[in-house]
Amino acid sequence: MTRFAVPIFLLLALAFAIEGSADERYKARPTDDRGVLLAIARAPQKTRSSLNPYDGQPDAVLAGKKLFEQHCAECHGSNARGQGRAMNLHLSAVQNATPGELEWFLRNGNLWRGMPSWSGLPEQRRWQIVAYLKSLRR
Amino acid sequence: MSFAAFCRYALLLRHLTTRSRLVASLPLLLVGWALLGGAQSAAAQETPYFVTYSHHLEEPGNLEIELSSIYGTQKQGNDFIAPWVEFEYGAKAWWTTEFYLDWQGTFRDSALFTGFRWENRFRPLMGEHWINPVLYVEYENTNGADKTMIEVVGFDSQADHAVPNSVAQQEHQHELETKLILSSDYKGWNISENFIGEKNLGHDPWEFGYAVGVSRPLRLAATADSCNFCRENFLVGAEIYGGLGTSWNATLSGTSHYIAPMVGWQLPSGASFRISPGFGLNDDSHRFILRWGLSYEIDGFGHRVRSLFR
Repeated sequence: MTRFAVPIFLLLALAFAIEGSADERYKARPTDDRGVLLAIARAPQKTRSSLNPYDGQPDAVLAGKKLFEQHCAECHGSNARGQGRAMNLHLSAVQNATPGELEWFLRNGNLWRGMPSWSGLPEQRRWQIVAYLKSLRR
Repeated sequence: MSFAAFCRYALLLRHLTTRSRLVASLPLLLVGWALLGGAQSAAAQETPYFVTYSHHLEEPGNLEIELSSIYGTQKQGNDFIAPWVEFEYGAKAWWTTEFYLDWQGTFRDSALFTGFRWENRFRPLMGEHWINPVLYVEYENTNGADKTMIEVVGFDSQADHAVPNSVAQQEHQHELETKLILSSDYKGWNISENFIGEKNLGHDPWEFGYAVGVSRPLRLAATADSCNFCRENFLVGAEIYGGLGTSWNATLSGTSHYIAPMVGWQLPSGASFRISPGFGLNDDSHRFILRWGLSYEIDGFGHRVRSLFR
């Protein structure tokens, strides 16, 4: 066992190092003419106009807040104001996006930039998270 | 059944060497530390499969520690329990790396450490599609007494596990395992298909296998209140898997196949439990197997480790 310990440790250290160097690459955050983050704005046209089935439902906002705390707060912070490389979700670069764009972005993620895909969550839960994100503007 | 098997397993652990016991206790200590609040937890988006892989990778920077085990009945030999420990780390949003340590204990025989595995999964496509491919590469360094059955390939048969440990452990297996994972999510269902090719780095031919899994949460939308026993935290599913022969003889004859329903329970605290009884579908399969697993996800693990070196 011990003869494999060193190479395994080195490989894990390499993985951590690669992850760390990505911090420097995530500085520029281009936006479109609405001020929406381009990574979100590249959602296909048909999904942009999708309406949130939970729009106007206070329970959905609460459920979305619970889901946010379980899945998103570790990177974006419990107040969603961002930390490290993770975006402040109160900013217009996120809040100006349509609900459809946000749901699309949650489903697809931005894997090269470190945002995981949340396609493993049922669509209903992603919409609940969107309902919570939109409630942050108020 | 599972409680009785657990008790017998506890007795079997007495046979492990001191060194193996030390290695085995490390993940238990980590899980204990995590459960006692020493770490921040994260709720993962997981499927309840034991054999099949979906395209959902570990979130970047998170470490999941899982203790799993299989209890198998043996037709012409002694029943066994084979536990394994997984350390799954999200190196990137598109790359998950995982390290396994395997043991086994055979009733009225012995218990031993059987080897390790190191696997990597990569998502080649950055977006979400109807079918999402994942490339899987694993290196295995195990001995012939390994009974974890994390995959079934080639002509793997229940008779392989009837060999006494003293004989089986003489065989060393240095294997490269590859998988093409195809996975889709549709209306809350996950449907995953795995095509497996495994090559002993000696002179043996490629061995092929398959695994197909389907799963779904009991409730798709979340409730507003935090809860442990609500339906949204439970997943149900089933998987079917087996061997497909080798590159010299691709056939279903002489291969073993299983069907296994399963239940997963994911707690908001980051802990999750899975259990899955499996049933052999032909004479070359174990008649009955039972798998169970306990996992805990630690968020921001990579960030914490890096911060130690700054």
